[in-house]
Parts: sequence; C-alpha cells; structure tokens
Amino acid sequence: MKDAGKYVWTAIIVALLAHFAFIHAVPRVMMWVAIDRVSGEGARYNAWTFADRVTPLSRTIVRPSPDFAYSACAYDLSDGPIMITATPWDAYWSLSLYADNSDNFFVVDDREARAGAEITLIRRRATPPDDAARVIESPTTRGIALIRRLAPDLESYNAAAEVARGDVCASFDTLRVPAT
Amino acid sequence: MLRRVAAWTAAILAGLVLGGASAWAALEIGRGNFGERYGAWSHSRATGSTAAGPYTRAIIARDGLLALSAREALYFNLTQDDQGAPLSENCSYELTGRPLNTRWWSVTLYADDSFLAQNEDHAASIDASHVSPGPDGRWRARVSTVRGDAAYWLSSRNARRDFSLTLRIYNPHRDFQASEETLPTLTRLSCLGES
Repeated sequence: MKDAGKYVWTAIIVALLAHFAFIHAVPRVMMWVAIDRVSGEGARYNAWTFADRVTPLSRTIVRPSPDFAYSACAYDLSDGPIMITATPWDAYWSLSLYADNSDNFFVVDDREARAGAEITLIRRRATPPDDAARVIESPTTRGIALIRRLAPDLESYNAAAEVARGDVCASFDTLRVPAT
Repeated sequence: MLRRVAAWTAAILAGLVLGGASAWAALEIGRGNFGERYGAWSHSRATGSTAAGPYTRAIIARDGLLALSAREALYFNLTQDDQGAPLSENCSYELTGRPLNTRWWSVTLYADDSFLAQNEDHAASIDASHVSPGPDGRWRARVSTVRGDAAYWLSSRNARRDFSLTLRIYNPHRDFQASEETLPTLTRLSCLGES
C-alpha cells in the first residue's frame, strides 16, 4: 500500500506522455495514410495522379469538394530535388504543398501565376540545382503536392482532365536534357 | 516480485489508456468548440498554417486534411441548426445568404464520417457560379432529403444524424469580414414526427 503513490505517479506521467504523443501523432498518421493512398501504397512517388471526380464513393481524403478537379502527387525528396509544374486553367486553380505533418507550407494560385507554375522542391537546407526554377524548401522529406482546378460540372471536369496532362511532378535529374 | 511487476505493468497500461482517452476526448471537445464562432459557424484561421498548434493541427487533420491556409481559403463548419440541435436527415432546413465578398464560395454537405452522403442526387454542393440571389438580395437553398420546389438544393438523403455543412471561401476580398450577418443562416423548417 505504501508503494501506491509511485504507481499512481507513474500512471499520471505515462498518461501525460501518451496524451501529447497521441496529439502529435494524429496529423502525421493521417498524412502517412494519405501519402500511402496517393502514391499507390508507395509504388508511385513523384508523379501526378488525376483523381476521379468527387462522388459519394470518394474515400481517399476527408471532406473532398465535388466542385474541384484534383491532381495529387506524393513526393519523396530522398533522391534529390523534384520539379513540379501546374498547367494554367481558365477558372480558379492553385498548387499547394503539404509537409508530412499536414502543414500547408506553400500555395500559389492563378492570380500570381497566370501562365502556370513551375517550382523546384528541395529538402530544407539542401543546395538547389544551378538551373532550378523557383526554389521551395520542404520542411519534410515526404509530403503531398495538390492542384485544385475549379470544375463544378462534368464538362469542366473533363476539360480539367485534359489540361492536367501537361502537369509535371518528377525528379529534377530525369527532366534534364543531356548535353550533346 | 511478480506482484511488483504486475503493479508496474498495470500503472503503465493505465497511463497509456488514460493518455489516449484524454487525447481523444480533447479532440472531440475541441472539434465542437473549434476556433472562432460566427453564429452557428465555426472557423479557425490556423487551418493549414505552419503556425498551427498541435491540437489545431490534429483536429484539422481529422476533419479537413489537406485544407488550404487562410491566405488562400477560409473554411467554416456548421453542425447545429438555429435551435442548437444537431443536423439530421429527419429534418429539413433552409440555408439563406447574401452574395459573399469573395472570388468564389461553396457550401458542401458531409455525412458524419466527413465524406459525401451516400446518395445519387448529385446535390452535395451549391456554389457561387450557380446560385443567384432573389429580388431581396438573398439566395435560398433547401437542405433536405427531397428537393421539392426549391431552386437550390443540398441533399441530406442518407446523411443520417450529425451531418455538417462546410462553407468554403476562396480568395476572399481584402474587405471581407466574417460575421453572423455576412455568413449564410440555417433555419430548421420541420422534422419528421413533428406535428
């Protein structure tokens, strides 16, 4: 009985640690699941996937908007920088980047980039390639790039699907044209 | 010796259960009292922000993963009607509002699992490009399981109980001010079983 106090204190300390660990883990776990889904369970990093039109059957990401055509790219900077481009769209569009803790650390939209967006994404404090376009540092090695194109009906969704073919999400090195 | 090992194990397990349960409860309570309130709408400017605290980040991750930061878009959630009751497909509601001072807006209905309600009504959302105000300057949309004579409709069929509405405001104009007066209002019209 005399030892009861130390067991109670142990339970309280473990409870506090578990509480904060749980709170910190929730966004990361949710993002890991999202990255896993977008990348086809890890098979397809650094490549855009044009999502099916949002319907009641859409279950990839919570609270999807049926008014947008989404393109998603699960990125992985382990092997170096990647280039991300977004082809312009007649109505609202934006390119946004999310770290693996769910932070939206970058966004650009058609007001700032009427002719489309082109960025080079690198790890924090990494040296960007000499010929890199606009350089953005990702706080984490992995994350998700997302393009939203306003497409509230089927016709505009189909048009967005065509436009999305021009988007690029790929390793910077693979896009370099070898010198001849 | 064995008794002591069992006591330590029980203390650690109790701590883990207590910690996990309290964190879950904190997110549930925080979900209902999230950020600022404008009438029945709740909103957090920290959504998507790199400056968001751990609780805000966790709540957003559960209910709105991949949301945009407030610089780009504002998200408002509504889970209760004008009488403070949870939203239910057994009731019909009227959502009214004035044109918002923003580039584009939409209102989308989500079931309690945060996905679109399982129906084929193609009426999960209304948006600025399709909604026009009437002569009094206000637009009106029905939130119910059937459209009836409504010009604009959000279908709550199969949304069950505790569904919610999300108002998205993209590229709000500089002078946009969220307030109870500027945001749409949801009014309960009737419920099944009411006389």
